[in-house]
Amino acid sequence: MFGGLLQWFDPESAHTEGTTPDYRFSLANERTFLAWIRTGLALIAGGLACAQFLPPLPIARLREIIAIALLVLGGLVALRAVDHWARAERAMRLGVDLPRSRFPAVLAITVAIGAVVLVGTVLHRVLA
Amino acid sequence: MRDPGAAPERTRLAWRRTGMSAAAVALLAGRPAVHPGAGPAEWLIAGAAMGGWAALTAVALHRAPGLRARTPRPAGRAIRAYALITVAFAIIGGLVVML
Repeated sequence: MFGGLLQWFDPESAHTEGTTPDYRFSLANERTFLAWIRTGLALIAGGLACAQFLPPLPIARLREIIAIALLVLGGLVALRAVDHWARAERAMRLGVDLPRSRFPAVLAITVAIGAVVLVGTVLHRVLA
Repeated sequence: MRDPGAAPERTRLAWRRTGMSAAAVALLAGRPAVHPGAGPAEWLIAGAAMGGWAALTAVALHRAPGLRARTPRPAGRAIRAYALITVAFAIIGGLVVML
């Protein structure tokens, strides 16, 4: 997943391979990156909100676990965003297919599972 | 090319939206500092959150001239810096939870 890690710290290497694409494609890639960063920031905000606004849940420390899980997910989304941006930029320079990614599906399923867990705790509280 | 200014303009607005999202996160991270009974730990975390937000804003400002250029320049280091500061916010959030 982080094969392009070295590229991040050597920005010049990204501008020597292949040919410079139409700047509009680069800007579109940049906007996609920023949209992912906003997704990460939203997850981080959710984690902070969980920690500060939820009452203690019936299962010990569940509130903290949910908050930390959201924060970790947000951090991962940010890392993946820059990795994907670098790969897409490189693919455009080399004129090959854009990188494919399972990450959006994995993220969606993870968030859905988290939501189901939350619904379960709420029902547990109402019914118990 | 129709409407050559549209792409840089959309990108500038995307940076702005992202900065606003970051401001909300920074305020949430700094919130414990204004609670009654807040100690030095909360103040330090709030300071780190505000510093992180200032750093993100600085990166966005640094990026702006490249978007204003007649032939806009693609982003380079700004992207990496922005992502890494976002990760730092996740770590600051972890400290808030641990308190």
